Amino acid sequence: MTPSRRTFLKRGLIGSGVLVLAGALPFAFRTTAIGRRPRRELRLLSLEEHAVLSAACARLVPGGGADPTWPTAETVDCAGKIDALLATVHPDAGNDFRRLLRVFESGFLGTFIAASPRPFTRAAPADQDARLEAWRRSRFTMLRSGYQAMKRLAHATYYSSPEVFARIGYPGPPEVPKVPA
Amino acid sequence: MSDGAKPAGRIVPGAALPAMSAHEVDFAIVGSGAGGAVAAAVLAAAGANVAVVEEGGHYTRNDFNMQESWAYPALYQEHGNRATDDLAIMILQGRNVGGGTTVNWTSSFRTPPATLRLWAERHGVTDIDEATLAPHFAAVEARLDVGPGNPDDVNANNRKLMDGAGKLGWNPALIRRAVKNCARLGYCGMGCPLDAKRSSRTTFLADAIAAGATVYTDCRVKLVETDRGRAKAVVAEVLDPATDQPRGRMIVHARKGVVLAGGAINTPALLLRSHAGTDSGAVGRRTFLHPTVPLVAFYDQPIEAFYGPPQSVSVHHFADRGARVGYFLETSPVHPMLGAIAFPGFGDAHRQIAERLPYVQATIALLIDGHHDDEGGAVSVTNSGRIGLRYPLHASLREAAIDAIGNMARLQLAAGAREVMTLHETPILIRSEADIARVADAPFEANGHTLFSAHQMGGCAMGSDPRRSVVSTRGRHHQIENLWVTDGSVFPTALGANPQLSVYAHARLFATEIARATAAPATAEPSR
Repeated sequence: MTPSRRTFLKRGLIGSGVLVLAGALPFAFRTTAIGRRPRRELRLLSLEEHAVLSAACARLVPGGGADPTWPTAETVDCAGKIDALLATVHPDAGNDFRRLLRVFESGFLGTFIAASPRPFTRAAPADQDARLEAWRRSRFTMLRSGYQAMKRLAHATYYSSPEVFARIGYPGPPEVPKVPA
Repeated sequence: MSDGAKPAGRIVPGAALPAMSAHEVDFAIVGSGAGGAVAAAVLAAAGANVAVVEEGGHYTRNDFNMQESWAYPALYQEHGNRATDDLAIMILQGRNVGGGTTVNWTSSFRTPPATLRLWAERHGVTDIDEATLAPHFAAVEARLDVGPGNPDDVNANNRKLMDGAGKLGWNPALIRRAVKNCARLGYCGMGCPLDAKRSSRTTFLADAIAAGATVYTDCRVKLVETDRGRAKAVVAEVLDPATDQPRGRMIVHARKGVVLAGGAINTPALLLRSHAGTDSGAVGRRTFLHPTVPLVAFYDQPIEAFYGPPQSVSVHHFADRGARVGYFLETSPVHPMLGAIAFPGFGDAHRQIAERLPYVQATIALLIDGHHDDEGGAVSVTNSGRIGLRYPLHASLREAAIDAIGNMARLQLAAGAREVMTLHETPILIRSEADIARVADAPFEANGHTLFSAHQMGGCAMGSDPRRSVVSTRGRHHQIENLWVTDGSVFPTALGANPQLSVYAHARLFATEIARATAAPATAEPSR
């Protein structure tokens, strides 16, 4: 039942739809733009993987868009929180997500998937959005699954952060009535 | 079994266990949710020495802070990230002391009579009917404080469902809830900070502990050991709560038997991993999810679907669609994270939806899978122990989903919605009946529309035919004589109603039989 190197691993939210083809992209991270250093010690991801995830989160959440007053993915530390979560799941799921980041970063694959030859971390914001959009609307289930894995984790960590609550009209949890111990 | 009253048991956290430990009891019970807790209570009350082994941690009302960022990683399977293999269906399933009962939305239904008839006619469950279950439902309803539906429980989110369905003649009904002194905060899915929700932790598990049962937490059962057709022990990894990675190992030897109640995904996975009693090929097959289709509507007035009882109204008008797959309608709470994950798109397009959160009403359609020619999903386990679930969305389910979206839109418009938005990745905006026709033209493909499941059923179906089912109609495994299953995996199909109360009642029926069968020298079943 061990997946072959030529098949997709499709197990669970975090690890889905990730081609082991990533193994054929050994140099995908060689040109990765690291950007800002992680805000906390990484528990699973490499520096390069964290950089790809940070760049994706920056485009997935609103703070990187038209309204500059929203918190950014970096201020919420979406990538750091996702790394901490990944460290607690089944090791295969964590490794699948790492492969997903390798595939997503690849300029080589980006050429075919989104006509975007640059590594994701080095692409212009509009091109980054185009790659996310290409994965989101792909006719291939595996790419749509990969997009959803990143999208859901980014949105889960972002919108569950109290600093975002006021922007979406959510007052937060109510006071809990006192009850006898 | 002892003659006198035993001292009370206790909850033993995994952190208190040594790297290696061995225990010996009459019954090892895997899982502390509805099925495991009732079995533990019944067997402990009968005098048996019981150990409950729970994968999740032990949390109480003081831990439940109503923050999604804490609750989903702490209280749900795979830290809130469980899904079908292709991610098309997100799966909400509890993992903690109390299991799904800690995080459910309190909705309490008896098993629909039509479903029991279907099981009798097509699945060999000929000796369970309404009369069989009635005393067990009565007992668990009393312990869980399930009262009649209460109109004061209807928040604005549910009011729209009530009003829309009422105007269309679809017979909305109040939902009975398992609560006592509920303050209607709206955070049932994150654990009740008042213990007003009657979870298994506060009821049957407490009863079991009072009768001497021991509950081991943070222990993930990896194996059921069998020998010549008998279950001998369960073997578990002791988890480090900080990392959720194994830090030790424990074994619980079971003198009388093993009861599996880890839920409809973990229980079949455990049997598959153990290569225990899987000869029929039915283990892990026919897994059903009530695949759930949400539809959101925007109103001019705030709905604040994050406050108030999450579910208090249901509509079963479309449950029986003849030859087509039926569905029933309820609501979902809309907290920031849950809503944001469901909303389509990213970046600013997503923001424009999210910032209307207080004005969102969410109606959900739960598809009743397994009643027609759809075969549900299949659970699998890799060599490294990772659990998978393949669930292809059968054409008959897609038809039902599209029909449901249309009818939910009609309902929301009837209730006064300004605009309805489908959760396709390319959303369809519906402002009038004319717009609804566009729904049928939109592709309904994996990850092209938000779907989730909070109800997992099947995978160890009960029945009289060992070639087509896994356990008897009293939960006893067909091949392993002292192994029982008391969770929702025994259901041959989806229920057509929220399943938790049915899990409690069936577990009580089965556990009563286990106590009787293991107390007497001769074992015969079934009996009412």
